[in-house]
Amino acid sequence: MTAFKYTLAGRLMADPLAVMALLIIATLVGMAVFADLIAQHDPDAMNIADRFAAPSAEYWLGTDNLGRDTFSRLLQGGRIALTVGLTAVGIAGTIGLVLGMVAGFGPRWLDNALLFIFDTLRAYPTIILALALAALMPRGLITVIVVVVLTSFSEYGRVVRTQTLSLKHSEFILAERAMGASFGRIVFHHILPNVLGPFFILAAMNLPVVITIEAGMSFLGVGVPPGTPSWGTTLKDGFDHIRQTPWLIVAGGLPLILVTLGFTFLGEALRDQLDPKLRKSR
Amino acid sequence: MIQYTIQRIALALAIVVVAISALFCVMIALPGDPTSVLLGPRATPEIRAMFREQMGLDDPVPVQLVHFWGRILGGDLGTDFFRNRPVSEAVLNALPHTVALVFGAIFWSATLGILLGAFSADRRNSVLDRLTGVLSVAFIAAPSFVVALYSLLLFAVVLRWFPAIGAGEPGDIVSRIHHLVLPSLAIGLAWVGYVARIVRASMLEAMNESFIRTARAFGLPRRRVTYNYALRVAILPAVQVLGVGIGGMLSSAVFAEIVFSRPGIGTLIYESVSARNYPVVMGSMLVAIGFFVTCALIADLINASLDPRHRTAR
Amino acid sequence: MQKSPRQRTFPALSRRQLLGGAAGLSAAAMLPVTAWAQGTQLNVRVYTEPDTADPLDASGFGEAMLYGCIYRNLIQYVPGDTWGHRNDLAESIEQTSDTTIAFTLKAGQMWSDGYGEITAEDVAFTFERNLDPEMNSRILPDIGPLNRVEVTGTHSGVFHFDEPYAPFWTIALPYLSGAIMCKAAVEEVGGRIKTNVPPTVSGPYRVREQRPGERWVLDRNPDYSGDMPAEFERCDIVYIGDEAAAEIALESGDLDFTEVAPGSVRRLQDNPPDNTDMSMHPSLFYVWVGMNMANPKFEDKRVRQAIQYAINVNTILEAAWYDVAEPSTGIIAPGLIGHRPESIIPPEGDTQRARELLDEAGIDRLQVTLNVLNDVTFTTAAQVMQATVAPAGIDLSIEVHESGSFWTLGVEDDGERWRDLELIMNRFSMLPDPSYATAWFTTEQIGDWNWERFSNEEFDRLHKEARTETDPERRDEMYRRAQDLMEQSGAYRFITHGVTPNLYYTRVEPATRPDGLPLVQYFSRA
Repeated sequence: MTAFKYTLAGRLMADPLAVMALLIIATLVGMAVFADLIAQHDPDAMNIADRFAAPSAEYWLGTDNLGRDTFSRLLQGGRIALTVGLTAVGIAGTIGLVLGMVAGFGPRWLDNALLFIFDTLRAYPTIILALALAALMPRGLITVIVVVVLTSFSEYGRVVRTQTLSLKHSEFILAERAMGASFGRIVFHHILPNVLGPFFILAAMNLPVVITIEAGMSFLGVGVPPGTPSWGTTLKDGFDHIRQTPWLIVAGGLPLILVTLGFTFLGEALRDQLDPKLRKSR
Repeated sequence: MIQYTIQRIALALAIVVVAISALFCVMIALPGDPTSVLLGPRATPEIRAMFREQMGLDDPVPVQLVHFWGRILGGDLGTDFFRNRPVSEAVLNALPHTVALVFGAIFWSATLGILLGAFSADRRNSVLDRLTGVLSVAFIAAPSFVVALYSLLLFAVVLRWFPAIGAGEPGDIVSRIHHLVLPSLAIGLAWVGYVARIVRASMLEAMNESFIRTARAFGLPRRRVTYNYALRVAILPAVQVLGVGIGGMLSSAVFAEIVFSRPGIGTLIYESVSARNYPVVMGSMLVAIGFFVTCALIADLINASLDPRHRTAR
Repeated sequence: MQKSPRQRTFPALSRRQLLGGAAGLSAAAMLPVTAWAQGTQLNVRVYTEPDTADPLDASGFGEAMLYGCIYRNLIQYVPGDTWGHRNDLAESIEQTSDTTIAFTLKAGQMWSDGYGEITAEDVAFTFERNLDPEMNSRILPDIGPLNRVEVTGTHSGVFHFDEPYAPFWTIALPYLSGAIMCKAAVEEVGGRIKTNVPPTVSGPYRVREQRPGERWVLDRNPDYSGDMPAEFERCDIVYIGDEAAAEIALESGDLDFTEVAPGSVRRLQDNPPDNTDMSMHPSLFYVWVGMNMANPKFEDKRVRQAIQYAINVNTILEAAWYDVAEPSTGIIAPGLIGHRPESIIPPEGDTQRARELLDEAGIDRLQVTLNVLNDVTFTTAAQVMQATVAPAGIDLSIEVHESGSFWTLGVEDDGERWRDLELIMNRFSMLPDPSYATAWFTTEQIGDWNWERFSNEEFDRLHKEARTETDPERRDEMYRRAQDLMEQSGAYRFITHGVTPNLYYTRVEPATRPDGLPLVQYFSRA
């Protein structure tokens, strides 16, 4: 197991895209974690006299409509994005993993029922479902996470199910079964490790999507409460004051693009390494 | 294949019915009394009661649901009581704008994507190929509402090359297209990346095939061979991806329509959700989900007819 | 009836389409020569979309603006800085007793499209169809205790009231319910106008078409017979909800006149777009922070007063209204009967006093929730308020609602949410009569629009009596007293009436009500 990890890490390090991706991610995560140390301003401190300031030595990325320091707020926003992203992907992934394997292993009717649920959930345009659900629940991070989980677990479910199905009928599983291996042994020793590869690729690709949904919901005013320094609220403030300053939009969009780039590159690199079929065709 | 097609269509219908019914129940459960929103603070209780009755808001939820589907099957999307006109009118007013937007996005992704992909395949493994590869991923990665905001800021507010809001003057095709450029680009950019990658991959595959090598052997100019023959092979998979992508584009369209203040299904749904204008929400969601499911269905059927393995995999 | 206090929801949601920006370099040259280029087309923005050509279905100022163009009233508001009215269809009109108003119509005033002369029959028909319960009118409350309209001749008639009703002059005759309809034409179409193009009009403009969600296209009415004929060949009423979007539209030449956001005023003053002017008007809307007295948290009057004192209105106005709006003293704006010269608690508040009041009530830190509408001005104001009440020991959390949820927060018909409601930052729209303001705060309105659940016998009596009081000075006194009672209850902290900054091209001569809302029918070419 360690050897596998080692070689994977080694192979990733040989891929310049992957290195770049990891650098971007490490920087963003570092900035979010050490936000309090890096920020030169209290992210909530208002200074009406300095509102809509352009980037300067004092305010690295300018200020917003209440004269708060944009850079310090984006650092805090990184925390929110990572919290929402990791929590939501974790929960959605777990639900999807379990349901996907249940669908793959379970009886035909259960498989069909679960597939139907997955397909139905996929039929909603994500952001519209988010709007409808957000109106039902109190505003806040919990709601955002619930919405994201609801809209994304079906994707994990489908991938895991497909993977499980193809493995279930593969020769080595049939052989194991013939040799009388227990159900648990088959699941934990054979299916799970093989499912995890595509699962992690999907998770890496999905994380920035989740972060974008959070930002999108906050942008539409159905995410975190106003005043919370999320990336989405910064963009919303920028959109509302687009005539006053361009910097809020420019600065607010940057971390979203970077985080998406970082994780997409990482997902790509992981896929190249973990998915033998794709590696061959390259 | 016929049996498979029927199965898929039935499933698609079932998905639409369940998705819409679930949404209907959610909408009814939302906090907020539509009568206060629609009638304003000066509505007397009597006027409100009359309005509630007209909208059937006092019936139990299952009764409302049955009535709702009964009307839909009768071809009636309901009445928008706020504006006193059929919901279908609001939906039909909005739909062409969204369809134009989505097709504009497809236009961007198809032309730019194929060009970029062909270019990349032609110069395979060069620095430029590598660069377009990274660019493609970057396009895929850029969240569509950030692209929308950036292009609004740069091209509409700062440079003023394109209008910032609206859908243009009816009947004036130049103005319509002029207004379509930025929002459709915002939606299509991600798909430019996808299409470019797929086109590149299928072209590389195709270029190894014998007829292209033969064509080359006959001394046809390399570029012409690449673009004429390989492109033809590469377009189909790109079209398939776009078929699936139309659904995703609908989500992006919500943002593009809001950022650029365009009329359309996205704006209609967003406005009616916040106004609790149930009939309009349901009508427009029905259309949006129907659109989404149909596109997925068509893409699926094309896939199945091309690749029989796909049929049994399910 | 007014659309819920000026429904500005999320700006982008209501930012709507409008005619294309001709700003594009290449396309500008290709665009057809538009009428406004010759100065014959007027484009005025409206913040709430007119939905119907039938006044009985009207819901707000959008329709009032449309009807001003296409219909005529007995009297109309006079453009300018003071509220008043001039005769339009009326040759003469006067209060003949406490409960009667007699009018005479000008002769020879015509309906368009061959519907003949406008007669007293039409006037009677207009008001009596509004009274008819079968018609289910949305603007019924505006005409108050009107009983019937007696026709005394082709051109004369008398309004009969059950009790004196002074506001008839200010909120009925010149507004939505006073738009005279053509009896023959309306009966021809079955009693209600359901088409966007009405069968006949009387105003200076007529409807060519409505593009829903976008604009009403009006043309000059060739059959107009009044004394203020249309100055423009074409007049478009363009619906754009958001001020920022409207400002962009004006700068790209798509609009001739629009209200702009308070936040833009400074920039537009310093750096106005070419050939534009800006005018500022005191608005009539009233913004306040209310407390739900039925919530146990606010049972102690000292707690309510602590919040009143903790709020620094000046800071809120500086940040959210960009220092262009004045603090308000109540719900009745300056210039109207009943306006209070000052509030009891000064606008800047008193943190020290607030802290003392909380100590007296035995509270160390007060945790409260403020509910606001999803609108940039209000969410900004809420954030500033959050910062300014903290030093007094009040921890404010902000809950933002989209319009659907917000407007039902305190409504009893809609579940139990009103019980837990705490603070609300609210804004109601207003017409130039004080009774239109006090009406929503009576005991009767509790659980409907009175979300503070404020109940005061004297207030209720004042509201009822002042409505029928005909002596302006006594009325003034009564409404001032009513607002004192509101403030003394501790449940209200008045913020501002806001301000209406209008931006327009100098090629047009705008005409507005004193509160800055446009009277499009009077717009002319400069």
